Amino acid sequence: MQKLATWFLALLLIIPIWNCKKSGPSFSVPVEYHRLDSGLKIVLSPDHTAPIVTVAVYYSIGLRIEPKNGTGFAHLFEHMMFQGSKNLGKNEFLSLIQGQGGVLNASTRFDFTNFFEILPSPKLETALWAEADRMKGLVITPENLTNQQGVVINEVKAAVHNQPYGGFPWLDMPQYANENWYNAHNFYGDIQDIAAATVEEVKAFFKSYYAPNNAVLVVTGDFVPQEALSMIEKYFGDVKPTDRPESPDITEPRQEKEKIFSKDDPLANKPAIAISYHMPARFTPEYFAMGLLDQILLQGEDSLLFQALVKKEGLTGNVGGGINLLGNMFNYNGPMLWTAYLFYDSRTSSEKILSVVDSIMQDVRNKPIGPEILDIALVKIRSALYDMMEGFYGFGRADLLACFALFEDRPAEIYLLEEKLRAVTPELLLKTAQEYLRPANRTILTINPKGAGQ
Amino acid sequence: MRTIKTIIGLGFMAAAVFMAGGQKQLPPEGAAPKDFVLPPKETFALDNGLSATLVPYGTLPKVAVLLVVRSGNLNESENEVWLADLAGTLMKEGTKRRTAEDIAAAAAKMGGEINVGVGLDLSTVGGDVLSEFGPELVRLIADIVQNPLFPETEIERLKNDLRRRLSIQMSQPQTLALAKFRKILYGDHPYGRVLSTPDVIQSFTVEKVRNYYRKNFGAGRSHIYVAGRFDKKAVKKAIEEALGGWERGPDPLIFPARTESPRAVHIVDRPGSQQSILYVGLPVIDPSHKDWQALQVTNAILGGASFLSRITINIREDKGYTYTPSSQLSWRYRDAYWLQFASVGNEVTAPALKEILYEIDRLRREPPPQEELKRIQNFMTGNFVLQNSSRQGIVNGLSFVSLQGLDPSYLSTWVQKVHAVTPADVQMIAQTYFLPEKMTIVIVGDKNKIEEILKGFGPIVE
Repeated sequence: MQKLATWFLALLLIIPIWNCKKSGPSFSVPVEYHRLDSGLKIVLSPDHTAPIVTVAVYYSIGLRIEPKNGTGFAHLFEHMMFQGSKNLGKNEFLSLIQGQGGVLNASTRFDFTNFFEILPSPKLETALWAEADRMKGLVITPENLTNQQGVVINEVKAAVHNQPYGGFPWLDMPQYANENWYNAHNFYGDIQDIAAATVEEVKAFFKSYYAPNNAVLVVTGDFVPQEALSMIEKYFGDVKPTDRPESPDITEPRQEKEKIFSKDDPLANKPAIAISYHMPARFTPEYFAMGLLDQILLQGEDSLLFQALVKKEGLTGNVGGGINLLGNMFNYNGPMLWTAYLFYDSRTSSEKILSVVDSIMQDVRNKPIGPEILDIALVKIRSALYDMMEGFYGFGRADLLACFALFEDRPAEIYLLEEKLRAVTPELLLKTAQEYLRPANRTILTINPKGAGQ
Repeated sequence: MRTIKTIIGLGFMAAAVFMAGGQKQLPPEGAAPKDFVLPPKETFALDNGLSATLVPYGTLPKVAVLLVVRSGNLNESENEVWLADLAGTLMKEGTKRRTAEDIAAAAAKMGGEINVGVGLDLSTVGGDVLSEFGPELVRLIADIVQNPLFPETEIERLKNDLRRRLSIQMSQPQTLALAKFRKILYGDHPYGRVLSTPDVIQSFTVEKVRNYYRKNFGAGRSHIYVAGRFDKKAVKKAIEEALGGWERGPDPLIFPARTESPRAVHIVDRPGSQQSILYVGLPVIDPSHKDWQALQVTNAILGGASFLSRITINIREDKGYTYTPSSQLSWRYRDAYWLQFASVGNEVTAPALKEILYEIDRLRREPPPQEELKRIQNFMTGNFVLQNSSRQGIVNGLSFVSLQGLDPSYLSTWVQKVHAVTPADVQMIAQTYFLPEKMTIVIVGDKNKIEEILKGFGPIVE
């Protein structure tokens, strides 16, 4: 067996995650960062609360970047990762993990495709072996591809075509609000595009993107880092890197004019509206300010939009939305939208709703937000961040570590979020609102209900 | 033939295939899972009958508080459907001490929200906040459940929200299927009423809400759970002080459902539907029955264990008919039904149904192989450990045991009981409880396109 040298970026970081002025308890777990010669990034973060371990592999290929004549391809490909590999036949990956008491899933998001398992901690080696096995190669047959095209077409029909408000606003809005094809196409895929994918295209996609130098491997939970690292070297050590194609330009131009669209929905009984603004660039001071503006404007029943639209005006029962409707404010890397959406009654006009929204947006653009409201927003976002980390049996923490390794090359960024959020001042909030909550920076989409029961 | 990724890989694999005759490498087994122990808890009761359970757990500085009241849609009469839901939302609209805005602001300052949930048997008021606010959250929840104002000024808005919710639900095919399925099984029992009507919602008044609250809320039918990281002494004190003065209130209603399900195919017409929503199921024994764990294992083999399940392997992985088939045991107080769900293309509605019924029949005819059963048992016990590794999961498990009145050892012996189920037990369960003559089949889809092909699966009923 080959022993590979690893180089350390950070050996051991134990920093309380929140150095809170108030005396709340804090949270800290160690984070180790390594890299194999093949370029595979490795994040190890033990936590012995429960006898379970999470293994997550993130490939730096998201649904923005897929062939222009092949919408929905990145997601279809995700399905093919379960159809057989070097040593596992069709369906065997699933039964191996689930038959050992684990859960697993995969998802295709804007800027990555992830595969993960959460299982009893003594089964760590099984999961590492299986992930390495499919990184080494897939068995792609016409039969398996046809079968998964059927599954995916049914998935899209169930979620979009056979559903009132199907795709609203998460799938629809990026297509209206963005200008660059990479951000503005149908990520789930046109049915005919999904049906047209070929075995050769699937093979080429694997070769381009599914390689150690385009991936990060995260292990969290009940395990010993040194042991895990040996297993990783053993199973991933001989996986060969690839020549990844150049990334295309995914930037969006500054939006200079408000855009307004409406869409008929033959299955819906009630109108709906979504309003999206382009986000500041990731990890700029304005980006963190926007995270807090999201809390102030949209999150929770104390938020300004909920209080105005639900409580005061009674125009809707709830206002949904946030940053990145396919995840959270941290797990993407490119242009993004902040979106608010709601369902309302046919007798209410969209103008009425917009006038209420406009008056709130004008306020945050014209008057600085008081320190008391800013403090509450900080408490809310801190609590939300813990929820994020705990999500899906603790998988959320692996997700954040993977994204910070993949996009910033600094998984320990997870410990610096508070500092960056605390640095936001009322002045910065005001400046951010003035640039990013401009009417010209937004897109409005209304759903016209054409269903039988209106 | 294998797909080869790189030139180097090609050489390596060709050699491997040659030498090993194509034999595949076996995955490393790993050691046996550690014995799972539930986190220790403390349970106590107040003089007014309120029960409390505290479970210190986890490393993140958060605490969940959930007050569970034995009341819900079960307590509605036929012309009150969703009155419990209205009472739940109106409860957050202010107390004798706090306005609605005060409640929302107080919860936000703790890093959380007040969530009210209304189900068939239970209503819940809870929140999940930063650790240091545990006692404060207990006091806030205590105020909401004991002193609701039910203000007249808010009721029209909330009724309108309910009407909008009803309209949107009526457009969702899966809700229509559920409503039909429950109506068939439960008839006039409250469990059979999934959807309200605009007229019933219109008839709701603050008086009706207050009356519902008076008859169905009180300390004697409530249980408060606190789980996470918190100051135990301070939380206990908050519970005693803030909830000790609550009236005991009336006893909970015990109203068991009598179910019925003759074999039939019920089509809910949805012209133009691109898919058919399939519901196939029947009433089964409830969680207090000695066969419950064996029934859970049987459900997992059929459709409740994701990609390990026979129906999923058959109609998804083998045939590609559907994306999310799954089965479940859906329970209420001393009541349960089994249900297989699938969303399939119009043209494969009949083949999909045929395969579902085939898999049930196959399990009745022959016991499952030991190896398959072992994987299913591992899946179930592994998932049990995961579910009991979060604040909300721990509380859900404890609340289930409390509602069903099960032996306190139910959770600690569950893993053992699941592993004790044999292939013969599974076949016996399938033969005893999965009776073809009682399978209720509900299909929401385009009747013109599917009616003809469904003949032969049983009498077709509107």
